[in-house]
Amino acid sequence: MPDVTVASSTIASGVLLGGMLGLTALGLSIILGVMRLVNLAHGEFLLVGAYCGLFLVQLSGVDPLIGLPVVAIIVAGLAIPLYRLLLQPLANRGAEAQMMTMFAVSIILQNAFVLFFSADTRSIPERFAATPLTVGPVTVPLMYLIGFAISVAAILAVHWLVSRTGFGRDLRASAADPAAATTLGVDVRRVQMLTFALGAACAGVGGVLIGAGFQFGPSSGASYLLNSLAIVVLGGLGNVLGTLVGGVVLGALQSLGGLTLGDGYRDVVGMALFLAVLAFRPGGVLGGARG
Amino acid sequence: MTRSRNFAGYAEVAIILIAFALLWFAPLVVGDYWQQLGFRTLIYLTLAEGWNLMAGSAGLVSLGTSCFVGLGAYVAFGLLNGMGFPLPLTLGASAAAGAALAVLVSPALFRLRGLYFTVGTLALAELLRLIMVNVSAFGGASGIFLQNDPPALPVLFHYALGVALVASLAITACTRTRASVIFRAVRDDEDAAAQMGVRPFRVKLAAFAIASALAGMAGAVQGVKLGAIEPYGMFGLQWSIDTLTMVIIGGVGLRLGPLVGAVFLIALGEILADYPAAHIAIAGVILIVLIRFAPRGAVGFFGSMEQARRGRAAA
Amino acid sequence: MSLSGAPLLEASGLVKRYGGLVAIDHVDLTLASGTITGVIGPNGAGKSTLIGLIGGALAASQGSIRLEGRDVSRLAASERARAGIGRTYQIPRPFLDMSVEENLEVAQYSIAPFQSAASARREREALLERTGLADAAHLSAHALPLLRRKRLEVARALALKPKVVLLDEVGAGLVDSEITELIALIKSILDSKTAIVIVEHVIRVVRECCARSLVLNFGRMLVEGPTADILANDEVAAVYLGTHGAREKTPSRIPVSEEDLRATSEGTDAQRHLAPLIAPQETRSPAPALECRGVEAGYGQARVLKGVDLVVKEGEAVAILGANGAGKTTFARVITGALVPTAGSVHIGGRDVAGLPAHRIAGLGVTHCMEGRRIIPTLSVEENLRVAARGVDGSTARERLDAAYALFPVLAERRNSPGTSMSGGQQQMLAIARALMARPRLVIFDEISLGLAPVVMDKLYETLALLRQAGMTLVIIEQDVDRALALADQAYVLEHGAFSLSGKAADIAADPRLRHIYIGAEE
Repeated sequence: MPDVTVASSTIASGVLLGGMLGLTALGLSIILGVMRLVNLAHGEFLLVGAYCGLFLVQLSGVDPLIGLPVVAIIVAGLAIPLYRLLLQPLANRGAEAQMMTMFAVSIILQNAFVLFFSADTRSIPERFAATPLTVGPVTVPLMYLIGFAISVAAILAVHWLVSRTGFGRDLRASAADPAAATTLGVDVRRVQMLTFALGAACAGVGGVLIGAGFQFGPSSGASYLLNSLAIVVLGGLGNVLGTLVGGVVLGALQSLGGLTLGDGYRDVVGMALFLAVLAFRPGGVLGGARG
Repeated sequence: MTRSRNFAGYAEVAIILIAFALLWFAPLVVGDYWQQLGFRTLIYLTLAEGWNLMAGSAGLVSLGTSCFVGLGAYVAFGLLNGMGFPLPLTLGASAAAGAALAVLVSPALFRLRGLYFTVGTLALAELLRLIMVNVSAFGGASGIFLQNDPPALPVLFHYALGVALVASLAITACTRTRASVIFRAVRDDEDAAAQMGVRPFRVKLAAFAIASALAGMAGAVQGVKLGAIEPYGMFGLQWSIDTLTMVIIGGVGLRLGPLVGAVFLIALGEILADYPAAHIAIAGVILIVLIRFAPRGAVGFFGSMEQARRGRAAA
Repeated sequence: MSLSGAPLLEASGLVKRYGGLVAIDHVDLTLASGTITGVIGPNGAGKSTLIGLIGGALAASQGSIRLEGRDVSRLAASERARAGIGRTYQIPRPFLDMSVEENLEVAQYSIAPFQSAASARREREALLERTGLADAAHLSAHALPLLRRKRLEVARALALKPKVVLLDEVGAGLVDSEITELIALIKSILDSKTAIVIVEHVIRVVRECCARSLVLNFGRMLVEGPTADILANDEVAAVYLGTHGAREKTPSRIPVSEEDLRATSEGTDAQRHLAPLIAPQETRSPAPALECRGVEAGYGQARVLKGVDLVVKEGEAVAILGANGAGKTTFARVITGALVPTAGSVHIGGRDVAGLPAHRIAGLGVTHCMEGRRIIPTLSVEENLRVAARGVDGSTARERLDAAYALFPVLAERRNSPGTSMSGGQQQMLAIARALMARPRLVIFDEISLGLAPVVMDKLYETLALLRQAGMTLVIIEQDVDRALALADQAYVLEHGAFSLSGKAADIAADPRLRHIYIGAEE
């Protein structure tokens, strides 16, 4: 039985990591909610953010945390032409055509990463990455805490955007009933494009935060995609704050799994939980916003 | 239409048997390089045929091929090492294992429609891979070795040929007999099919089980050829990605789609052998273009061009 | 009753609920073999739901169904098909990628997978003969026109060797001569061992095929009996044409809350309130508010509108009437840009709107109070209203909101509740207010009376009258003929995809042909 310090530190780290995973999952969730599209390139969007952060540090020496807004803009800026060129023309063809296109984008990106950045795994050098923070029996890397704080702030910001602004109303209307929304005057295509960009930006920003704490490589995307899917299903589709809860729960459970079963089982716990929830309640444990 | 379907069925079986009989003698005529290439193409063809049955005939888009490839390989190694089974029997066991897993997960998996099904298969594949990495009884991350030396290349080539033959005949049985209308009804309109007395669950399960059995056999033969298997290779997502890519490029739901797709992908890999990352990226670009402009894949595209040409010629 | 005395199919106490909405409310149905029974009723009465419940596509919330004494209530659709219940669909859905022959094979091989190919072929040929499709055996289902697709659906259902055949609105979209053929087909498939149920809007089919009929209204059975009696029944006529008669004779069965009754504000007060919600006179052009010439439109194979001409002047109230399936909502969708017409032109305020996406047409001042209300469930009442007020600053939006709340005070009380948490009548008020939030010049009210009690409809129509007095251009699409004609200046009646009657509302109301169009009482 691991001792209290190790156990509580591990779980606390898991919770903090879960917050960051929640931010990335948010990107997947809003795209799925508004466009009915499972973005199979989601993991690669996360990596684009991570590589951007890395690149920024290497080029300009700027702390990646300061560079977050820049990364967000870059990733969103890549997502918009992707939507207009590749996804918008397929809008009337059914969900599968778009999903397969994003699948193709994901494999292209994976190989682009190998081409430009080599297949090595790496992480973003960050001042706080190695600094531990100790509060009582709990010790966590400071980076995790900062990442968690930023993630929570970002999730709250998106929540505010979705629930309190005009764009958020348009977004929710487009998600619930695109035909009615169009008749009401909402430019649903434009809403979808902006949502796609926002989702990509969430993934990218999450990628920087995670990349500062962990190693990543060109093929890491798939496991982050599945983690995000698990969180979306746990937290409820369409439920912004639910992704935070889902992320934290997943993070905690993963740590528990790693503690009790062995380090390699962290991800197993996540996958098994995901499949279980999918099998019994595809609508999510917390219930979606669709009542 | 029905009469011509039966005729086409017999013709197809004849063509397949003749083609495979000819290929049997290939190792006598060509060298190692071509046998290797042939082996890979046959394995890929097997996977693609199965996937095409699921997607083209039953409407199920799967990203879980790697799950069954890996399972087949590990079951094969277990039987060969542990019990000294002869290889043909082992292949049968791998097929059975694949089908059994499909049957096991289907009640949960088939509750998911459309996108969620695809995602579910992906999660299943990842789950199995993670388990295999961690459970040391199965060799953990370093995998297991085949105790005896693998057979010689020509023998392996013949085994691959056998497996691909089984795949081709199975697909012909499903698409050229009366079973094909049942499959296509489920693919086209599951609810209307139910109203006609078709039980969609059983039909989808049949397609899933057949595809999984084929993938299991392919995995077993592949594993034996390698002589040593480990989770990242045998359960790697690359299997799922390649299979899906092949069939979409060749043409989903079309009889020749898997063949064209498999040959194309292997050929592309050979041409770009010096740039391993590029060949998958190029396949991705081709996928995007095809989805947009030729959703029926290469076979469908050229098929409709041919029809148009004949139409113009007749006019 | 059949010879043995026991009914072939017995459905008792069928109830189907969707959340708070009761679609079928304790309906009983008994079928004897060798009979054809008709089921009629206005739109939204639950006819297709009933077919879905018997056929197995829908699971009943309560009640039981017995086929030849055997309880099939829990069986899935596929098992019921195998037990002998065949059905066709309102909009035919043959397997489009398969040939006519293959469509039949699906049914044949699911009930008898191992039958010999030769006997299967003989059966198919016989079936295709009977249903008039012998020459089309090898054609792809995709290539068949509408009537032949309906024939294919009947043939496919017959391939199941059914005991009960459910025909769901087979008459829709057909012209007179095709209906004659259809009636002949239906009569020819009857035999002493089967029972047929026909759900229909085309009354002629019911009159000529069904010995007995029943009438559904609001999910309940209104009356049942010999078809001739049913069709001559005034109550039945009232259900289709309007609620004046019904209001006196049949007390409303829908519970009406106090809230609904005091929901609208009264009189000249309201006129003042409405100003922020109605496009001012100065911005209006001298051109007609709406002009349609030769509009044709449809969905895939089905051609619904076959040449529609309409002119609506600024400030006019126009009623668009017609039996269900005539194309009223299709017409509304063409005007608002949700459906692209295959021919003809639409001009709004003199401007040609061809090619404009729907959200831009909304921006031109044409709003659509949609059929079925289409309240966004994930938005609150106030948010539903705000979504519709686009491109205006905060104070203007506030002004319009206040006007909407003054018009329908109940909305103010519920402003933060989810849009769909209110009663049907209140949701309709929300839909109307939402349509006004864009400060439109023309509003299309699409079937606002659907599913509402007469008392609630009175209130809503008072609001519409206020709008009309204030100078708004109204297009009222209605099943409730009496109310619409009382309010409108001009009326147009859609029949078979074009306007067969048009003129002043008062003239149309007095025209005997009107009743004929709805329930075909005259010959």
